Amino acid sequence: MLKNRVKEMRARHSLTQSDLGKQVDVTRQTIAFIEKGEFSPSITLALKLAKALQVDVNELFWLEGDGELEK
Amino acid sequence: MAFITLLGVFALGINSPTVELTETGFSIQLEAFESLLVFGSILLYLILLAIFSVKVKQYNKQNPHQKISMLAIRPPEYLEADEGMTYITRRAVQKVYTFYSWALPALATIVIIFPLPRLVVIYAILGLAFGQYWIYYTEIRKHFKGEEE
Repeated sequence: MLKNRVKEMRARHSLTQSDLGKQVDVTRQTIAFIEKGEFSPSITLALKLAKALQVDVNELFWLEGDGELEK
Repeated sequence: MAFITLLGVFALGINSPTVELTETGFSIQLEAFESLLVFGSILLYLILLAIFSVKVKQYNKQNPHQKISMLAIRPPEYLEADEGMTYITRRAVQKVYTFYSWALPALATIVIIFPLPRLVVIYAILGLAFGQYWIYYTEIRKHFKGEEE
């Protein structure tokens, strides 16, 4: 399962779900689905999110149980 | 769902008309109550259609890049604004498909075995349509719970 810290990074940048959604051209609900882990984004969207939140994509998304990357 | 209910009322009204062949063609006679149901449901149907049309126009004005067509073959309830929306639509449609994959054969079997009146069969079909919308709506609604953070 894909884990993420989108919510944490978004809060760090003081962005609402709508703000982030606008930056990466998706709806607020899609950001909420990703944060809740209900939906794994495409590579394109993952890269857009990483760029918007100014982090490496590996810091934003990782596989559950991946001990090296799980923080 | 309102359209389905109206179709049910319409079916009830039109179920037992008196059809008479005449020299110039045929005439259909309905009792007073049945007439009320038939014409009332047609009138309500047209009113609902007009309201739906106005709502679609309002939506299209607010969302010029994601317009809904009243004449499109694809159901307007599909949410495909982005990949997240497409994902939950797919989930909901899968559930509806699963429902139909057992409900239709079950209904067909019941209709074959039991000599049901035409109205009951129509209501059973409308019941399936109602079930379809209910499953779709509850699945979509489940994902839309929660306030913006």
